Amino acid sequence: MRRTPVWIFLACLCTPSFALYPGEIYREDLRIQPLRDGRVSTTFSFVTVLEGAVPRNPMALGQVDESQHYALFPLTLGQILREHAITELHLTLNAGRWNYDNWGHPHEAGVGTGAELWAWMGASEITTVDERWSGLRNALSGLFCASLGSLDSRRTLSPTVAFPLSGSTPTFAPHELRHASLPSENVCTENLTPFLKLLPCKSHAGLASLLNPQKVFDADWHGMGIHVIWKEDTGVELKLTLQAVFNPVRTSTGKRRDWNLQLLFDRSIERSCPVASSSSITVILPEEKDYQIIPEYPAHVDGLAIYDLSSSSNFTIPSNIAMSWPSEHSFQYPLPPLTPVTPISVKRTIHGTTQTRGILSVSVTNNSPQEISAGYLEMVPALLTLWMHTLKVEINSQIRSDLLSGLKYHPPSPQSNDRLSPLDVASCPHNSTKDHARNFHRGQQSFSEIHRTSTRCDERLGSTRGRVFPAPSIVSRYPSEL
Amino acid sequence: MNTPPAFSVPVCLRLLLAVLPLPGQDLLKHDHQLSSPLTSYLRLNEGLWLLDNNINPYIGGAFHHSPLLLSLFSTIVPPLPIIWAVSDGMGAWALLRIWRARQGLSSQNGTRSNVENLIVSVYLLNPYLLLPSLALSTSTFENTFTLLALMFASEGKVSSALLAIAFAVHLTPSSIFLLLPILMVLVSSPVSHLASPHPFHGSLRRIPFLFGEFTLYWLVLVGAACIITGGNWSWVRASWGASLTLPDLTPNPSLWWYFFTEMFDHFRPFFLMVFSVHLVIYILPICVKFQHDPLYATFLLVGVLGIFKAYLTLADPGLFLSMISIFPEVHGYLRHPIITTLLHLHAALLLPLQHVLWVSEGRGNANFYYAASLVMGMAGGAGLVDACWAGMRIAVGDAKVWAEEKVDGEKGKVVWWEVVQQ
Repeated sequence: MRRTPVWIFLACLCTPSFALYPGEIYREDLRIQPLRDGRVSTTFSFVTVLEGAVPRNPMALGQVDESQHYALFPLTLGQILREHAITELHLTLNAGRWNYDNWGHPHEAGVGTGAELWAWMGASEITTVDERWSGLRNALSGLFCASLGSLDSRRTLSPTVAFPLSGSTPTFAPHELRHASLPSENVCTENLTPFLKLLPCKSHAGLASLLNPQKVFDADWHGMGIHVIWKEDTGVELKLTLQAVFNPVRTSTGKRRDWNLQLLFDRSIERSCPVASSSSITVILPEEKDYQIIPEYPAHVDGLAIYDLSSSSNFTIPSNIAMSWPSEHSFQYPLPPLTPVTPISVKRTIHGTTQTRGILSVSVTNNSPQEISAGYLEMVPALLTLWMHTLKVEINSQIRSDLLSGLKYHPPSPQSNDRLSPLDVASCPHNSTKDHARNFHRGQQSFSEIHRTSTRCDERLGSTRGRVFPAPSIVSRYPSEL
Repeated sequence: MNTPPAFSVPVCLRLLLAVLPLPGQDLLKHDHQLSSPLTSYLRLNEGLWLLDNNINPYIGGAFHHSPLLLSLFSTIVPPLPIIWAVSDGMGAWALLRIWRARQGLSSQNGTRSNVENLIVSVYLLNPYLLLPSLALSTSTFENTFTLLALMFASEGKVSSALLAIAFAVHLTPSSIFLLLPILMVLVSSPVSHLASPHPFHGSLRRIPFLFGEFTLYWLVLVGAACIITGGNWSWVRASWGASLTLPDLTPNPSLWWYFFTEMFDHFRPFFLMVFSVHLVIYILPICVKFQHDPLYATFLLVGVLGIFKAYLTLADPGLFLSMISIFPEVHGYLRHPIITTLLHLHAALLLPLQHVLWVSEGRGNANFYYAASLVMGMAGGAGLVDACWAGMRIAVGDAKVWAEEKVDGEKGKVVWWEVVQQ
């Protein structure tokens, strides 16, 4: 029913297209960046903005909501957001480990492995935040075919410092954060299909037609994200992102890092999405100038090659965008020692020989020439008992307890079984590596706890596979360069 | 008070062990046989750290010790090994005084006999008691308070005995099972009457008053604990509730944890109730049967606790084994002491072995370890049953046989049997 106006538009392709209903804007963008280790990072972002919309007041949850009529905004997601009165929502489903040292910062932060869901909701007496959080999890797990239902209260925390509200804060109710993550959740094609259904043009037209599940899920790193933010001046913004890091050196026959859209995605863009107000492919050009890019880009902005695909432009859709390094015979991986791309590198390791005891060690390296002060947040499953009194901070085997300040440790509460241990790093002197080490003790799980974590794409029993820790986050205090 | 010369030697040895840096001490602290989640030194330090950082130590499930220990080690004295050595010494001294009271000897007199040396050595050098003490497990303090309560009760000092047992109950709630026989010792005498059973001699009417006094001391301690934690009652659930609700399923030598790892949550409350009530049913029959010798009844109940406690360490059967030294009159009547010894040896060797095989090396599994703790339970049970038997058998007495030959040529023997009570 909703597709009828879209088909009418597709029939008259030459007319300049704009959103049928004033108040909804859709734009899509693909960013491609060749990385220094021969890989190619691609970031799709599909943004739908409901202009002037306001999140539902949780105090009005008992009354009948106004009817929702959307042309571009997905109705299923809109209904979930209104039903649970969600102000801000972030869901990411990722697979792989983002290599910050070689790949730099991702275009969309939120690359922790597995499923991570966090939401800001207003408090209300009609239904509590926790009830709505549970309803949200179940609804989203049904919508995305992901087992988000197991992100229950035993894994939910409220780390407000590390996950603040990205948009504006509505004034109608005090807001609370709920955050949960399931690092062992696998992402597969069953998650991509409902993701594409949220787009106005689905996978028939526009940039989403490039999304070939065979290729995307074969990438070295892939992840999708759903972000709903409310900005007071623009309205409710839904951003769907899909990032994938491909490895043409591995997949190509000649071990070359040349890439083109056909090689990466095995698909081409037939037609552009008519309802998109802007649709473009941006290639971030590498610094060395010995590459070649076809077709010659018309717009050159500062190291970026922008190909505008929207139907309003006069530019014809390129059948293939290719970048090659003709002077290279085969790709030579840059030899170590390599300076990491990001100012901070973090390594987390477990030392120990037994299954019950060990040392959890976090090693933070400051690659920049000046001191950095950052916060470190770690959420540890309750299975592990951390002996916080054994916490040691060392630089080059010298104990420096003054470098750690503002240590906040939240032991597991009876409702939530996870521990929250934000550590505030006071400062890390330049070009040095700092180690935190804490002893931990793995406890004994009861039978019902072992079988509660279920995965969909993997049939093996969780208990034999070992435990996965949720990814820690580093929050920088002075985000000037980071 | 004159102590036998050999008392100072084991005590000095024990103090020396506390002060010297031993190579394997870190291993001992992590050993699950020597300390349980309720008594572990690691958790004590964690609780002290949490207190220093203004975090309630009781909400995380890591800390189960009593607030009194928390305040002792955070304000008065840090948790040094020398405190455990002193506590061991006090326990040995208390055991000696119990022996003297039982034998009717004046506690001031120093009859330096070999038996007293043996008693002191059996307490201080018993590996079941020495190793948990070196591992800085707070079960040493629990044992010391139990022995102090018995000492004061044997010497007739009412208030000190009730205060000591109130401390013991505060540290571990399962010591409440020892309350009734201690009250009985207070109102009667500790002298051995095993061989001549008689109805209870003491005045039963005093017992409710003594119980009231105990309750008063116990409430004072509870109030002190509440003041220490600032009016927060979460410590009750974490420290006493742990024995009842079994929140932590770390493997230990007790018989409880294995059941609860395999059990659905639905059945947990029922089985927790069954296991706790099981301990209660031993009190009255033992106290009624051994009403002529309540000290022996206490000894038997210590044995019961040493098998069926929720979070068992080796120190609990260790107390039972060391206390057997103050009842030499039953030693002759034990039927299978060697089997008990061998079972204990078997269990003591198997428990750490299976634990390492399971958790460190991953070659065994929980069943191996639980089988070893079942052997430990059997060892304790064999000792307890034997002690019960001997305590009752001694009352029957020995048979003395006379045989006389008739002198007048008839080839016959006349046999008289006479039962002599000692």
